[in-house]
Amino acid sequence: MRQKAIMQSRKVQFIIFALFGILMINSCRVSLIPNYDSAIADQIEQTSKQVDKFYLMMLEMTSRENDGRAFDKFTEKYVDIEVELNSLLIKNKVKPLNENCVRICEITLQLWEKYKNEHKTDNTLSDGLIKLNRLTFSDLFYAMLVAEKAKEIISNPPE
Amino acid sequence: MNFNIDTVLADMLGAIKGTITNNWGEVKNVADQFLQRKKEKLELIAQLRISGDLTQEKFESRLQDEKLVLEAELNALAVISKAIVQKAANAAIDILVNAVKTAISSVI
Repeated sequence: MRQKAIMQSRKVQFIIFALFGILMINSCRVSLIPNYDSAIADQIEQTSKQVDKFYLMMLEMTSRENDGRAFDKFTEKYVDIEVELNSLLIKNKVKPLNENCVRICEITLQLWEKYKNEHKTDNTLSDGLIKLNRLTFSDLFYAMLVAEKAKEIISNPPE
Repeated sequence: MNFNIDTVLADMLGAIKGTITNNWGEVKNVADQFLQRKKEKLELIAQLRISGDLTQEKFESRLQDEKLVLEAELNALAVISKAIVQKAANAAIDILVNAVKTAISSVI
């Protein structure tokens, strides 16, 4: 009778320890990156299209002759796009564990400002430089989108 | 009690291997894409230097920019790698938790 009671007590102890263990393990899930954010992915795609259109319009609809590519003709568009890039940077910054995406946004903004200032200083832009700038930002937005979409891997069901 | 640590560890290892194997292709595809795009751009930078669109100073500055673009691409690959590691580690932990739960239910 006494042995049965001891066995019963050990069983209860085991269950309590096991439940405690499960709780501990559940609360210690590995977290290296934030969850996927479809709103950020959409904004990356929209801003990427905006930049692409900006350079394609400049290439196809203007020329260097008669100050056709003077900086002041594009100032408003430069500002609109810079606002979007700043917004993407801030949205990424407020998320914890997001340092890789923040760095991609910082680089994109840094190069955007650099090429804007080059255009401002030279007050024109050759076809070749427009093509090069377009390719550079296409690469950066692709990297940005790849990084955001990669976060979907963690929410996909296990194979 | 139905709890064999060797079987659980083998299952955990299998989950880690499976997750990494199934997602590794993604890293390779993206890295290949980055390299393809780089080839086209480096050709254009060289052409612009030859045509005189880029002065030597600006040519060197653009090559420095390419280092930044590469840094951005490596950051993107880092996110994919972290996502795979996170998924694999949590899949392994889930197996351990489920094994313990099964053991408890067999005791109860």
